[in-house]
Amino acid sequence: MTPYQRLMKTVKKEPVDRPPLICPGGMMTMAVKDVMQLLNVYWPSAHEDPCLMAQLTRGMADLAGIENLGVPFCMTVEAEGMGAGVDLGHQTREPHVIRYPMKNMADMDRLSPLDTGIGRAAVCCDAIRILKQAETDLPILANLPGPASLATSLVDPMRYYRSVHRDKKAIHELTRFCTDQVIRFGDAMIDAGAEIICIADPSATGDLLGPTAFSEFVLPYLNRMTRHFQEVKNVPVIVHICGKIKKTGTLIKEMDAQVISVDSVVGITSLHGLAPDKVTMGNISTYTLELGTPEKVEKAGRSCLRNGVDILAPACGISPLTPLANLKCLSNLVATFNTSPDTKEKNI
Amino acid sequence: MVRSRKDILTDLADSVLNMNEDKAVQVAKEVLETGQDALDAINNGLVKGMNQAGDLYDKEEYFVPELLICSDVLYLALDILKPYIKHEASEKKIGCVIGVVEGDTHDIGKNLVKIMLDVSGFEIHDLGKNVPLADFIEKAKEVNATLICLSTLMTTTMDGMASVIEMLKKEGIRDRFKILVGGGPISQGFADRIGADGYAANASQTVAVAKKLCNKEKSCDALSAFDENR
Repeated sequence: MTPYQRLMKTVKKEPVDRPPLICPGGMMTMAVKDVMQLLNVYWPSAHEDPCLMAQLTRGMADLAGIENLGVPFCMTVEAEGMGAGVDLGHQTREPHVIRYPMKNMADMDRLSPLDTGIGRAAVCCDAIRILKQAETDLPILANLPGPASLATSLVDPMRYYRSVHRDKKAIHELTRFCTDQVIRFGDAMIDAGAEIICIADPSATGDLLGPTAFSEFVLPYLNRMTRHFQEVKNVPVIVHICGKIKKTGTLIKEMDAQVISVDSVVGITSLHGLAPDKVTMGNISTYTLELGTPEKVEKAGRSCLRNGVDILAPACGISPLTPLANLKCLSNLVATFNTSPDTKEKNI
Repeated sequence: MVRSRKDILTDLADSVLNMNEDKAVQVAKEVLETGQDALDAINNGLVKGMNQAGDLYDKEEYFVPELLICSDVLYLALDILKPYIKHEASEKKIGCVIGVVEGDTHDIGKNLVKIMLDVSGFEIHDLGKNVPLADFIEKAKEVNATLICLSTLMTTTMDGMASVIEMLKKEGIRDRFKILVGGGPISQGFADRIGADGYAANASQTVAVAKKLCNKEKSCDALSAFDENR
């Protein structure tokens, strides 16, 4: 079974030999310094050059054992294309927004629609084309920010949060516009060859917004995006949510995404309970991955697998300083893990 | 008819807690018109309401939007009352430099901590996010702060906290300040390892830890003139 087949079967809940090991990219960035050095391909140039971007994600699969390709390595492509000022960071620092185009919620006229044919949006599409042409057996993931996370990259989050009570209309208008842009960008990446969409909405985590605001301002837009990709483009969607989801947990079953990825503070067993029909993904602590020993990382991975996670993945992506050894030990772990019932016992 | 002090204080606390701007303004004016003590109204009315909001946040009944609006309502009423605080009642406030360490731009947690410390009577000097490490020290020296609060959400930047402490030691002024650290990847263990004075897991806990560190047990007494630059 190839990594592509394994992941595609897993998202459809069809039987597989073992769980895939995935690191989507995007906000949950997937490149580490160790691999950059081995390839001699570094951030920030890999954010702006489609060949380098493709090489780097390919290197993560070849050298670290991650079983997918994924672009981009940040969540600023869309905001930049819409008018935000972005600092591309350096070797071990992700790009980040340094200037919001909107001073306040009423400034929507300061935003440009995202043109997917220019700038870093085009770089991502080109990188996907290169990866597709290489005809690997790895699935290609395209990453997008959720509409609320994009909105809070365009205006100071403090203004956005205040508008939850002060100007609901403004939040809806901004989020609707953001949703339209990410849908178009997702379509462009799918047309270039992306096979799965991963949406990360860290700014909209229920821990920050609370369940009422989450279901009013986030869920409908997240679901509109998800349904578009799943139904119109026939591409599976992973949604990642940050935080404890203690109060928003019951909203997970209202999400249309086939695959739900969660933070490491959420137990996989409780996620299964909250959304029994979803494919679960996660959730090895990003901090353990960077700062723990390979033994500790393996233990965390084993615990996820034992609790029945469908797709093994870092909880909130990986830090660029994550040691290669910590990723390789996960790769070895899944490779030797067998999900067929008669061998299940000896694995755990 | 002049209403009782208790009714007015309850109204002020409730208006903050229930995010009612109009009521907060109206009752703040009532305090002045009826000649009641402005400082008492702030400490035992407005701030009490903000602390109740903080409690609801801890219980996950309030979230970031609610806490921000509650603080807006508090500051609105505060601006009305502040000019009428009797000066002899004021006490020197404890200076606090706060910011998100260099390399990190996640500042929601820092902003909540700042609000809670501010309403608890600390004099806040907010350096913002992605703050060069030396700036914490420069500012702390400049304003003669007692407390330095360092925040980060990322593992890649948490070592910056240790660097700030090392830089203070190198200058021979480590003992002049209390260092308080917090944020997603930070733990009590990490705080102990890098030699910080305190760690807090959330905004309201920060207030308790900060007060303990600064020997400032009584909650609202130092609240005299709020930070002008909030």
